Amino acid sequence: MGAVIKKELRNYFLSPIGYIVIGIFLIAFSSFFYLTTIYESSADLTYLFYYTALYGLMFITPLLTMWTFAGERKTGTDQLILTAPVGMLGVVIAKFIAALILIIIPVIFTLMYFGILCFFEVPNIPIYLTSMLGFILLSMTYISFGVLASSLTESPIIAGILTFAFVFAATWIPLLVESLSGLSLMDKFTSFLYGQIDIANVILFLSVTILCILITMIVMQRRKSIK
Amino acid sequence: MIEVKNVTKKYGSFVAVEDISFSINDGEVVGFLGPNGAGKSTTMNIITGYIEQTEGSVIVNGFDTVKKAKKAKQEIGYMPEGVPLYADLTVKEFVTYMAELRKVDKKLKKEKVQNVLKETGLDTMQNKLIKNLSRGQKQRVSLAGTLVGDPKVIILDEPTVGLDPKQITEIRSLIKNLGKKHTVILSSHILSEVSQICDRVIIINKGKIVAEDTPDNLEKKVSNKNIIYVTVEDTENKVDTVAKNIEGIKSIKLIKENEDKTKQYEVSGEDGINLNKIIFSEFAKENITIFEMKKPEATLEDAFMKIIKEGGDK
Repeated sequence: MGAVIKKELRNYFLSPIGYIVIGIFLIAFSSFFYLTTIYESSADLTYLFYYTALYGLMFITPLLTMWTFAGERKTGTDQLILTAPVGMLGVVIAKFIAALILIIIPVIFTLMYFGILCFFEVPNIPIYLTSMLGFILLSMTYISFGVLASSLTESPIIAGILTFAFVFAATWIPLLVESLSGLSLMDKFTSFLYGQIDIANVILFLSVTILCILITMIVMQRRKSIK
Repeated sequence: MIEVKNVTKKYGSFVAVEDISFSINDGEVVGFLGPNGAGKSTTMNIITGYIEQTEGSVIVNGFDTVKKAKKAKQEIGYMPEGVPLYADLTVKEFVTYMAELRKVDKKLKKEKVQNVLKETGLDTMQNKLIKNLSRGQKQRVSLAGTLVGDPKVIILDEPTVGLDPKQITEIRSLIKNLGKKHTVILSSHILSEVSQICDRVIIINKGKIVAEDTPDNLEKKVSNKNIIYVTVEDTENKVDTVAKNIEGIKSIKLIKENEDKTKQYEVSGEDGINLNKIIFSEFAKENITIFEMKKPEATLEDAFMKIIKEGGDK
């Protein structure tokens, strides 16, 4: 599993994708930091995470995950992994972790905004930490959507469009359709912005993520018999 | 040892491979031959565990490729057709990654990677990016990735496709050396390559095994026709009439007229007749001077074409 994580990370940074993803995150974080804290003279960093999750993740997640399996199948390198003595679940988890690391890196960069705010007023540390946790949990769920979408096709473009559709639907439809508001992942994420770690929400994010990873594994296994 | 037992692979109603069985002993070099779409790559992919068979089983050194997939895969090094590689990695990075995937002991990893780079002649270009290599060099990188970790079985799908003659010679000599330490299965369209490298040939057509033997035996099977090529001086054009009156000769056909006014004929006789003896004595009686008599040399290509044609006619 370690070998696949290392190779995936190396690939992210040998291609422009890694830099583009981190760049988009930093632009989004910086813009929302300016608009929601500096401009509003507020020491509240939670909006920075909220708006990046609302507007940023649906563009970043497809970029990050579209190549995970679809790209390998397109170039034929999936043959190298699928004929190596590694388990399919390990490969799926490795690709998931590599993508997650690429999101965790810019999240760590938000310490910079925390540091800047400290010059004026020390932000609420527990709320900052729970917001980070919520953002990472939400990202994990979206990445698992993306990895699943990437296993369904050999076209990275189609995988990207599918991921965008998944994330867009999960983010916006419950916000716009009142009857579906109970399914809103953004609502569950919002509770973290108030400094609450609701175990039910943590379990929800983790179970959706695990479910998507398991489905991805089944899809990949199934491909072996229909290939 | 590899045992393929009654393997069938279906895609809906299409049968790609039908009830094939064969076994390959340790240290053997076996070639898969067959026209495009015959089922060679499907069979290889099933052995490597890349795809799963619909029916039957494949046992690699005692491990079932479905039930004990990881252990079976540990025994196999696979070089897929079209040499899929990570273009942005260097040669060394790629081979190291393959070593990690194959779970090579961490302490031995560096040494094993260097050994395999040396063996494939890549040690001087190990820090080059794969995307900057020639096709032949990429083929060697793929082979290096296959060999790292010392798998007992090496499976090579069309290892010389797209290479120039010099590169083909290099790769062939590498494969020949592999046969000394590993069990090798390779598929190829180049029949001379298979006859040079392989101990045994399995010919697949329309998803079925249509022949399985050594290259020599397959060649002999097609050379058993009683045919002889005879070059004579025949200024009076007597050969045709004379030959037709000889008992045991089925047909005679003019092949070519040479510049020195000699003519070459293909003479076909009935089975069991000693054509050399009859032609020599009968032509001498008619004062036809014989310059040369020779049996046609059958090649693996002839054998292949004949077997495939017979399979197609069935």
